[in-house]
Amino acid sequence: MKPRERTLRRWFTGMAFLLPNLLGFCAFTLVPLALSFAMAFTDWDIMRHNQFRHEPLHFTGLENFIRLLGDPQFWRDLGNTFYLMLGLPFAMAGSLGAALLLTRVSRRRTAVLPALAATTLVLIASGLGLLWGGMAESGVWFLFGMLAASVLLAGVLTGGTVYRTLFYLPSFTSGVATYVLWKKLYNPHSGPINFGLAPVLDRLTSLVRTSPDAFTYGLPVICAGLAAAVVGWQVRRLRSRWSGSESGLAAMVTGALTLGIPLGLLLSWQGFSMIVAVGVAASGAAVLIVTTLRRPRPWGRARSADAGLGTEFALAMLSLPLLLVLAAGIHVGPALPALAVSGIEPPDWLGSYAWAKPALMMVSLWAAIGSNNMILYLAGLGSISPELYEAADMDGASAGQRFWHITWPQLAPVTFFIGVMGIINGMQGGFEVARTMTAGGPAGATTTLSYYIFSEGFETGRLGYASAIAWVLFALVFAFSLLNFRFGNRDLSD
Amino acid sequence: MKRIFLIFLGGLTLAAGLLYWTLPEQRSGAPVLYWATQNDANKRETVALFQGWLARQGLPPVDLRIDNAGLEAGSPGGSPKVLVQGVAGMGGDLIDVSTYQLEMYQDAGMLMDLTDDAHRGGFSTDMIYPALRGDLVLDGRQYGFPRQSGVDMCWYNRATFERYRLPDPSPHWTWDEFEELGRRFVAATNPPGTRQRSYFIDRVWPPVLRRGLGLSTYNETGTRCTLDDPRAIEVLKRIYRWTIDERLMPTQQEQQALASDATGQNSAFALFATGRFAMLYEGLWASMELRRLGDLRLGAVEPFTAGFRNALAGNGTVAIYAGTRHRAQAEQFLQFLTSKPYNLFVARIGDSLPPVPAYARSEAYFHPAGQRNEWEARKVFSDATREIGIGGTTSPFVLPILAFRIDNENIEAMLTGLISPEEAARTTARRINDEIARRVRQDPKLQPLYAERKKIQEQIDARRAAGRPVPAAWISDPFLLAYYRAQGWLEKEAAP
Repeated sequence: MKPRERTLRRWFTGMAFLLPNLLGFCAFTLVPLALSFAMAFTDWDIMRHNQFRHEPLHFTGLENFIRLLGDPQFWRDLGNTFYLMLGLPFAMAGSLGAALLLTRVSRRRTAVLPALAATTLVLIASGLGLLWGGMAESGVWFLFGMLAASVLLAGVLTGGTVYRTLFYLPSFTSGVATYVLWKKLYNPHSGPINFGLAPVLDRLTSLVRTSPDAFTYGLPVICAGLAAAVVGWQVRRLRSRWSGSESGLAAMVTGALTLGIPLGLLLSWQGFSMIVAVGVAASGAAVLIVTTLRRPRPWGRARSADAGLGTEFALAMLSLPLLLVLAAGIHVGPALPALAVSGIEPPDWLGSYAWAKPALMMVSLWAAIGSNNMILYLAGLGSISPELYEAADMDGASAGQRFWHITWPQLAPVTFFIGVMGIINGMQGGFEVARTMTAGGPAGATTTLSYYIFSEGFETGRLGYASAIAWVLFALVFAFSLLNFRFGNRDLSD
Repeated sequence: MKRIFLIFLGGLTLAAGLLYWTLPEQRSGAPVLYWATQNDANKRETVALFQGWLARQGLPPVDLRIDNAGLEAGSPGGSPKVLVQGVAGMGGDLIDVSTYQLEMYQDAGMLMDLTDDAHRGGFSTDMIYPALRGDLVLDGRQYGFPRQSGVDMCWYNRATFERYRLPDPSPHWTWDEFEELGRRFVAATNPPGTRQRSYFIDRVWPPVLRRGLGLSTYNETGTRCTLDDPRAIEVLKRIYRWTIDERLMPTQQEQQALASDATGQNSAFALFATGRFAMLYEGLWASMELRRLGDLRLGAVEPFTAGFRNALAGNGTVAIYAGTRHRAQAEQFLQFLTSKPYNLFVARIGDSLPPVPAYARSEAYFHPAGQRNEWEARKVFSDATREIGIGGTTSPFVLPILAFRIDNENIEAMLTGLISPEEAARTTARRINDEIARRVRQDPKLQPLYAERKKIQEQIDARRAAGRPVPAAWISDPFLLAYYRAQGWLEKEAAP
């Protein structure tokens, strides 16, 4: 056989192996992708363009995209999508925490696993016994508390395989099944979460009733104090990074906005008009930026205006939710005595407009902590050279210093990857959980963009418009990924 | 390498062949028909009855199979999967449809026009309740036949009412009477300082409340949504008061939470049986659920209204898929739905009323053996379907599921305090009217119909303003037609 023939034969053999996969890719990915792109520029409606009705399809140009810009539902659902993504930093922190815990576990193998497993079973049985005996609410607390304690204890003390599996459980359990379970947990009438919360809130009610001033003034003061500490730390850090030429102007603005947004929201909750709230928040941020820019920079200017933006963005994602919680504390404190008059009720998790999104976020958080992210962090932790820790030990570094100066920087590539994937999944996600738990309600509070695409495409049949939304979503995901690679990568190489 | 490739190819081909061989069509000796419906004991019994009926009629057997894979229980606007499968050419031969779905599926062209065959085969609309004929007919053509009919009424548990010393609700009662009784029940069952665990009723249906005030979702010709009318605002205010202020009923999300309670079934029935719900707003089919919960002393009254007595009537319709390969057999099934064995079966089990009204006046319906506690309620349902039952309102210019979603979303937004009742009414009407305008602009088929109806609407408005009667043929909305008739606003020659 000639070499040319042999090459051709090899090529055909190779293609024959590849063909099933290529055909599948073309039939189920490439062609639908191209079709959906074309559909986004048409008035394709399955009511009029289908097997039974063959009306001419019209090219509508950018009409679908223009309509989308003026569609309040699109903006509301985009806002919901971003809101639900606020849980991402907590999920990443949770995954890292779980990975650290499990790494620690695997280093201290002991033989007490059977004993701990037996103890857990006894504790669960005791909790069930209490429930059966009529001590419903305290029984539920006991059951959950003991379960959590035993898992924690066992996780810390025993060989990790079992507990790695436990942590990873949400990832290989069917999403819909767990969401149905969560729906039952959230049930305002018979759900164990509210059963557990009820005695706590009753106690809180009586506390608020007996000493209303402590809550009217005490809680806001404590929250304000904590918020001041966070703000002070942030200001100091921003200025130090600026002086050290680690941050450019974009990073400075991002850091300042992290402080301005909670302030603006707090003012708005307190009844100030949006103009006043935005004005005060913007002024505060501007003062911080201007006073920082005037500080001397002994190391010269930063390399570029966007230097350090990735770090600042990551920190903003962590500190913003914290500051928002503290702002909520300042706002809610004075209202508690009035609430306590009729008794502070546990939330209607899925039925309240205010609680529905946080409730879904908690479900996603639960699923995300033990997900592939944890596995990636475990792999990342395993690849850190022990010599680095040994050197740090010899230098007398504390556990915190070891984490901040060795573990965290060494995990930066993993964190970057998880962050990018988290943003992509977050922007595309939310459909399954909302469809199962809330049907997008109440009043559209949990309708995400992917849910909107589904309802436009398959409930009302407007495939052209649904495709346009899908491609805008793609553009957003693409833009975010580009930003991530542009700025996140720069920090990694730093 | 080549050998491995050939082994895999052979294996896959064999597996495909085996899969094909396992298909019911390959293994059944009779034509296989798929019926997209819920897979429950009653449907399985219906299939068995159909097969017996075929044998008695001397017709060849049919392998009728229930296909519930595409159905989504509790989906308010119907199942998107049925629509998507249907327009893609993969629909079931027989499809269960509600009033709202029928219009949507017909619009997509996936339902078979049965008008001529129905007359020949004896399953035309003449066989069913006059008030519900409109549910099966679009543009004068018939697209299905009911497997059951009926109205939603207010069930009450006599034991619960006696326990709290409440008088029975009167047969024709008003909003104020409902509110008064409900307030007393909620106060008696939820002592001050405790969390609310009992509600007076599980839900209300806004269209019925609006109809009580003489208002429909659309105008007479379906060309404009009228939910910004002051009467719609009044209804929203009442719903807010009953749900949030008085807590006579749970919110929609609380209803959903209850529906997903421990048993996986609608726990409203269990709560009704234990006295935590004094009333249920459901159809006669609820009796099948309640039967499992013991020998409850049941009563039923018509929905409370603010003037015009009405009850929302509807059919559980079976339609034939336009792409079926077994049209004759599918039509035999619709013929079977008019048969005595089937109608007596529905009458006996109480899964709503039998589709042929004569059987709803039978002994099997009124006095089913072993269900003495339902006898009184059954008469109430039968009378209400004939006397005050009115079919659902739709407009050909907007998808019912979309209108439902918009209405529902704004009611939720009002109940959560995001918007006022006035704003909710305005937003609902504006969004539905925007959808009407968009759909008419995009669908050339609708444009002449819309223009024609707009002209008719102008004439109706002019006549109404002058206090003159209107021809019945001008009014396409079933409720407004009944309302006009009751008010004496129809031209005499057009009245039935």
